[in-house]
Amino acid sequence: MELLRPDSVEAAASALRDGSVALAGGTELVPLLREGIVAPSALVQIDRVVPKGIREGWIGAGTTLGELEADPQIPAVLREACSLAASPQLRAMGTVAGNLLQATRCWYWRLKFPCRLHGGDRCFAKEGLHREHAIFANDFCASAHPSDLAAALLALRATLKTNLRELPLSELYRLPTQEDRATTTLGDGELILELTYEQPLASTYLKAMDRRRYAFAIVGVAASRYEDGERLVLAGVAPVPWVLEDPSELDRATPLPGTEYKVEIAKTLVRRAREGIR
Amino acid sequence: MARLIKTEKEVEGRYTDTWIVVEEDTLDQWPEGPRDSVGRPATRIDGLQRARGEARYTADIQLPGMLHAAVLRGPYAHARVKRLDLEAAREAPGVRGVLGPIQEEVGYPGQAVAAVAADTLAQAEAALALVEVQWEELEPLLDPDEAVARDALVSDARTSERGDVERGFAEADVIVEAEYRTQSVLHNSMETHQAICEWEARDRLTVYISTQFVWGIREQVAEHYELPPDQVRVVCRFMGGGFGSKNSPDDYTYIAADLARETGRPVKCALTRRDENLAAGHRNATIQRLRAGARSDGTITALEGDFVNATGWGGWVSSTGGPMELLYGCESVRITERGAKLNSSPMKAFRAPGFVEGTFGLECLIDELAAKLGLDPLEFRRRNHSEHDAVDGRPFSSKNLLECYTRAQPHWERREQVRASSDGPWKRGVGLASQIWYGGGGPPSYAWVRVGAHGRAVVVTAMQDIGTGSATAMAQIAAEELGLPVDHVDVSLGDTARGPYASISAGSSTIPSMGPAVRAAAADAARQIIEIAAQRFELEERVLSLHGGRIVSADGGSWPIEEITGLLEDGQILGKGSRGPNPTGMRVLTFGVQVAEVAVDVETGEVRVDRIAAIHDVGRVINPLGASSQVEGGIIQGLGHTLSEERLLDPRTGAVLTQTLDSYRMPTIADVPEIVTDLVDIPDAHLTNLGSKGLGEPPIVPTAAAIANAIRDATGADVRSLPITREEMLRALREARERRPERVGAPAA
Repeated sequence: MELLRPDSVEAAASALRDGSVALAGGTELVPLLREGIVAPSALVQIDRVVPKGIREGWIGAGTTLGELEADPQIPAVLREACSLAASPQLRAMGTVAGNLLQATRCWYWRLKFPCRLHGGDRCFAKEGLHREHAIFANDFCASAHPSDLAAALLALRATLKTNLRELPLSELYRLPTQEDRATTTLGDGELILELTYEQPLASTYLKAMDRRRYAFAIVGVAASRYEDGERLVLAGVAPVPWVLEDPSELDRATPLPGTEYKVEIAKTLVRRAREGIR
Repeated sequence: MARLIKTEKEVEGRYTDTWIVVEEDTLDQWPEGPRDSVGRPATRIDGLQRARGEARYTADIQLPGMLHAAVLRGPYAHARVKRLDLEAAREAPGVRGVLGPIQEEVGYPGQAVAAVAADTLAQAEAALALVEVQWEELEPLLDPDEAVARDALVSDARTSERGDVERGFAEADVIVEAEYRTQSVLHNSMETHQAICEWEARDRLTVYISTQFVWGIREQVAEHYELPPDQVRVVCRFMGGGFGSKNSPDDYTYIAADLARETGRPVKCALTRRDENLAAGHRNATIQRLRAGARSDGTITALEGDFVNATGWGGWVSSTGGPMELLYGCESVRITERGAKLNSSPMKAFRAPGFVEGTFGLECLIDELAAKLGLDPLEFRRRNHSEHDAVDGRPFSSKNLLECYTRAQPHWERREQVRASSDGPWKRGVGLASQIWYGGGGPPSYAWVRVGAHGRAVVVTAMQDIGTGSATAMAQIAAEELGLPVDHVDVSLGDTARGPYASISAGSSTIPSMGPAVRAAAADAARQIIEIAAQRFELEERVLSLHGGRIVSADGGSWPIEEITGLLEDGQILGKGSRGPNPTGMRVLTFGVQVAEVAVDVETGEVRVDRIAAIHDVGRVINPLGASSQVEGGIIQGLGHTLSEERLLDPRTGAVLTQTLDSYRMPTIADVPEIVTDLVDIPDAHLTNLGSKGLGEPPIVPTAAAIANAIRDATGADVRSLPITREEMLRALREARERRPERVGAPAA
């Protein structure tokens, strides 16, 4: 496998074709490579071309979780989401864009069962063990999206800038379908460069885990308050980060037998998060 | 004098009768209490070496010309190898040898099928991809109850009965009946299972292995290759944890030795972390159908348990019913234990196997019974204390469980205050559970002590320190007897070619088995030093003793020990000692109680353990610092067992879903509660020249039940299934609400 180290965005973009993948912090990619889940033709190391740093309302896509967590100008929801994610070592390496693009923790997917996300015709989680899986949009694929940061940034009405376009963060994600199993809309040769967000009046991130630290969300709730209303976004409940149009949407969740408890937790955390931003 | 005796040997609760030759244990025990070295906190003699990365673990060993083995593991829970083609792998770059099929029928996911040895591990792994296997998939059996129904057991069911159980229940004023379940958990030792094998000649083999028992490896490997045992040398200098899973050679040792023989090179075979989660053993899941009856005066009249262990493709039936048989003085007890043969990896001993699982069921049931009787759980336990072994009437060699209860009282009395600190959705409570387990060790075990001209000593014995600090304890014991500072005593261990036979480090046996032998050897060396000193100073031996690095005379004179040992020049004083017999006709057990304080968020099912007080009776404590570390380690491992760890199997295929440490969730430091350790520290007057029992296992035994009982105290919810995930906690809370709507989330009265 080749390692490419382009020195411009253009060179990086042209290298990101024909089955190559971008390498930033590597905290997600390296395990996937090691397990053979991702088998790229080349690795494109992008750390020299992707902006880093934090300015008011602006985040370079190569900024690490550790940097976000420590910066007082970052809204609480994002700082809290960072500090509850992974471990200090991983947060020192992992970048914000990499975190947004991370794959599900579904054990069947990670063990390369020929599931729908891998192009197969079954969802093994639905018929098997699925206590960590989805309560929304889980008909085709019951995987849960693991990113705490995605929920936080969606609550902050974040916009992404890639080398090709500007888009609301919500448009980065798509539910997998029979025709297209992808969970993001990022195209070939496309590279996330920067993010902007709107400063909220108040915000918070609450996360239920199987242990106190260093676990993916059973349910994560990002909440923010703006002049024109609240934003509530959930992590760990659907194949993509899940924007709640209204708290009552949880009454219409479609949990699997093993994920019913997640609905109960989500309701509580949503209530607490809303109280927390009042 | 050497004496031939028949003795009962116990490891992990499994007894065998054996004839052995033992030396009389002629030393009197030291008086109770701390001495110069023994009984005082000592930092690890090899702590810096370990912390600096200088300690050479098996994983660190690189031998000249060493090859690396990669193992092909079957992907199916149950399948037959119809055809195995190793030719392409044999021709692959760097490959020096291939092996297979290792077995025709695989009975669990990850069972070894073939192996390749190559110059590098990467080459070996690449070659594995070229191995062609044709499989015939077979139906896996995964459900333990179904296995029992089909009589698919790993061994015959064990039933044990005393008294009259039917009459016991008839006499009961209150009966509780419940089903408890525990999950399968994994050892996940920091150092994965591994061995390096090197043939020095066709008939001489050296095995470097991460093991809890160098002599057991020697015995089994010698038998496997039909070699005289003295032609097999087994080395384990430093070891990164085993917890019961590293007592035997297992397939990786034989794979390395077979490939080493084929290639004429040393071969290393190391499990990966993923292999460790697939095929390195586990604490088996259990189903416990329990029943207990008591009179209103608080006397337990009958106990009955039907235990099904999800043993796996192999392994043995750990005694899940043991606590029910042993803990209380109840006259009528009936237990049945069955081990289901399933298409999952074989169980292996895991820190108090059986008793951890059985204590969870029993000690929760006892609290359920106490609640029905309206009795204080601690008082209820006191009333059913057993004065002698309830199974066979033997006296205990020592038992201070009542003293443990007394010392638990102040922690137990915190419960009003703890409950009152409940805050909003966070309900707080206190629970306790008792501990009973083995841990007496036994013969044979031997040690030598060597003292040279410089006046320093070396303890030489082929035991192993599995990371628990037993080498430090041995140095303390020898230092005490020789009157030397601990840092003037070295310990040479971990090599069957460099010292006498020593005990397995399992069943909490290292200190009770090895400690007395080391003390006897040190006493033998001390006696010789005094004999020489008496001649040199023209004094009577009986007026001389060793203290503070000096030879001390009763009349007040004293000389540095080097004044005598220095006379030796290149000579050495050699002391030898052995472990004496266990007390005849007595039961040697360890006891204890833990008191847990928890907080439960009744809206999200989050359980936080705030504090655990651990009071254990293990006889004399050699190193209080090492002992408290053992208690903390046991409780933290128990915490994972209670709250977050679980090996999950796909219910259809039997595939292990939790193969990595992000899905198999051990506690992090953030999960660790305040741990208060209190060791009773009264020597067992009948047990050896030390009066010490083992402490490796006792601290993990009662933790789950203490936490579950605290949860009931906090919330009124019965958690009867481990781990207590949020799903399980919310289910139990819902069940409690439906049962007693008036007590939603309120602390139990």
